[in-house]
Amino acid sequence: MTPLNITRRDAAAGPVLHVAGDLVYGQAAALRREVERLDLGAGQCLVIDLSGLGICDSTGITALLAARLHAHAAGAGIALAAVPAGTLNVLTIVGLDRVFPIRADADTA
Amino acid sequence: MRRLGEEPAPSGAGGGANAAFTSLLEDSAEELYESAPCGYLSTLMDGTIAKINDTLLEWLGLERTAVVGRRRFADLLTVGGKLYHETHFAPLLRMQGELRGIALELKTQAGARLPVLVSSVVKRGGQGEPLLIRTTVFDAADRRAYEEELLRRRREAEQARAEAERARREAEADRARLADALAVLQRSLVPDSLPDVPGLETAVHYHTASADRLGGDFYDLFPLDGERWAFFLGDVCGKGPEAASLTSLTRYTLRAAALHDPAPEAALTTLNAVLYERYAVGGDPRYCTAIFGVVEPGPAGATVHLASGGHPPAMVLRADGGVELLPTPGGLLVGVLPDAPVGSVRTTLAPGETLLLYTDGLTEARTGPGDRYGEDALRAFAAGRAPASPQQLITALTGLLDGFGDGLDDDTALLALGVPAARPTTELPR
Amino acid sequence: MTNMDIRSRNNVTITGLADAPTVILAHGFGCDQNMWRLIVPALEERYRVVLFDYVGAGGSEPSAWDPERYSSLEGYARDVVEVCEELDLKEAAFVGHSVSAMVGVLAARTVPERIGALVMVAPSPCYLDDDGYRGGFSAADIDELLESLESNYLGWSSAMAPVIMGNPDRPELGRELTNSFCATDPDVARVFARTTFLTDSRADLADVTVPTLVLECTEDVIAPREVGAYVHAAIPSSRLVTLEATGHCPQLSAPEATAEAILDFLAAWH
Repeated sequence: MTPLNITRRDAAAGPVLHVAGDLVYGQAAALRREVERLDLGAGQCLVIDLSGLGICDSTGITALLAARLHAHAAGAGIALAAVPAGTLNVLTIVGLDRVFPIRADADTA
Repeated sequence: MRRLGEEPAPSGAGGGANAAFTSLLEDSAEELYESAPCGYLSTLMDGTIAKINDTLLEWLGLERTAVVGRRRFADLLTVGGKLYHETHFAPLLRMQGELRGIALELKTQAGARLPVLVSSVVKRGGQGEPLLIRTTVFDAADRRAYEEELLRRRREAEQARAEAERARREAEADRARLADALAVLQRSLVPDSLPDVPGLETAVHYHTASADRLGGDFYDLFPLDGERWAFFLGDVCGKGPEAASLTSLTRYTLRAAALHDPAPEAALTTLNAVLYERYAVGGDPRYCTAIFGVVEPGPAGATVHLASGGHPPAMVLRADGGVELLPTPGGLLVGVLPDAPVGSVRTTLAPGETLLLYTDGLTEARTGPGDRYGEDALRAFAAGRAPASPQQLITALTGLLDGFGDGLDDDTALLALGVPAARPTTELPR
Repeated sequence: MTNMDIRSRNNVTITGLADAPTVILAHGFGCDQNMWRLIVPALEERYRVVLFDYVGAGGSEPSAWDPERYSSLEGYARDVVEVCEELDLKEAAFVGHSVSAMVGVLAARTVPERIGALVMVAPSPCYLDDDGYRGGFSAADIDELLESLESNYLGWSSAMAPVIMGNPDRPELGRELTNSFCATDPDVARVFARTTFLTDSRADLADVTVPTLVLECTEDVIAPREVGAYVHAAIPSSRLVTLEATGHCPQLSAPEATAEAILDFLAAWH
């Protein structure tokens, strides 16, 4: 299990969280906490940059879904960026590719 | 040693020192006996005190006349000491003629207790016959205090050890109870056995990845009416008690929904609404992937209607050895959105054909660093065994799972349904 | 445990005349079968003599110790019954010293065909004073005894061992007494002491129907004369003999008189 490291930067459209490591049982809760700490404004877009993502299990997906709920509650949007192929495959199987806007990389407008 | 400036003593002074020494030596044996720094006591064989020294009388606070010929040695002891004397001390002394360093307590006239160490020797006559008992008594208050401290420490250490042992046993019992409870709970999440379905053969396998973490895979098979049977298989997010409660909710919601409206899409839509209301609305999304199916065995085979919410596609092993995946495009994880789309598909199973539902524990099993088993490998595996009856297929897949060893790190559920191959028509001679 | 050889478990020794009636000798609290050493020679001339150690005492098998079983006199009585059964004794005379006298009462009740007569040496059915009954001790006295056992644990283990090991006068005793006393685990002694001194067996005396000899000493701190009279009165089939002996162990302090009283009784019974 690769340790999870989450870093934050602010882009013009809203905060960007860069996720490095595994989003798995026992670690994924850190992403949820990080997201809940964000003060999102209406009209902003939270981007979760998964370019450093290792493994993502169902608790990882739960954390992404919780982030989505948190953003929507604030009137903000959410997008996933740079999703690794394996995770994208899982997201597609479960239909989440239609729930999350998916971008090639975090800087794409 | 001589101090600086002191003259050596003249020889006459040496004579003076000797005189003083001699006067010390003149101390009579009698006086030595009476005033020795320990108690002396002589008794008859029955314990009656015949002689006792001043020191001991002083310790006891007794007059000689009240003791000699009137009391026995045991009378000087505390009651507990008397019992010990009768059961241990006296028999041993009789048997071996000598005893040393026995810890006893004397009872003084004033009522105080004096801890002592007692040694006794039997004096024998010319024929070896026992005559009397000589006893010395040492004040052992300090030693006894030390011994008591040692004993206290020992008791404390024993107590601590006993408590640690008890705690360890309790922890073990707790762990065993928990394991029992988990096993019972786990069994409530999947049926003990599948019902017999006329015209169909069924087989299941459930692999539990970890005994102390309840898994989140589930399956079931039950009758809808005289002709049709419903079945489902799925995987809830997460692990442990929360996953178990979600699994339980999912299983019973699907069963109830199917009785209300047997269309597979309707069952999953109902489940989606229930999970979304229960969890996502509160900001705590929980979801599952599931395939729900209805099967109707008929004379020519069985019709199957499947709906899926984000679950890996079902697989069919055809009678001609072909393998098909049954994708259900458009389906979504159940419980995520208020109105989730559900994908559906239909097929027919001819005699000798088998439908397989599985959870992604199988396809996500690690087969090497960074490698997962995957859908393609599964398909190839099935192709190598098709056609196969449900039991043959499950047996083969169980072997495959066992071969993954530690690579199989998630719970895995397998459910197979099939129409038995037509029997050979050759009749046996009567 | 059930498979353990009873003879080695209880360190059974058999001497005397092989074909003669059997006398079984049972030691009391604090000692082992060596207690009978001075009267065994007299008994051997006319009887088959069986000696044993209770589990927890003397040369018994340490692994057989079970604090629960030996927390009641019934546990010790089972030792007696099992020894009797192992040797297939019939109509044996049971001689019990001190607490063993009551153990014999319980054993005779369990296997009446095996025990035909009882000799109770310095018996007491109850050591504690009770309303109208003088046993001689209070509960606090018994606690004191337990303290004595405890405080002599260090004494035994350090000071006593060398003394007992090297006994120049009677070397034949040394080794056995080492086993007898030094091997006594203080935890075992504590259980036996509690069982001995805190049990009230007065009601069991009524069950005695076999010929019984009650032997008491003129001065016994542990079992006073009142208790001897009480036991005699409670057992109609008993004879009371008062030995001119002091202390609680007449078989040591007055072995000839003790042996004579036992032999007279046995001769009359047979």
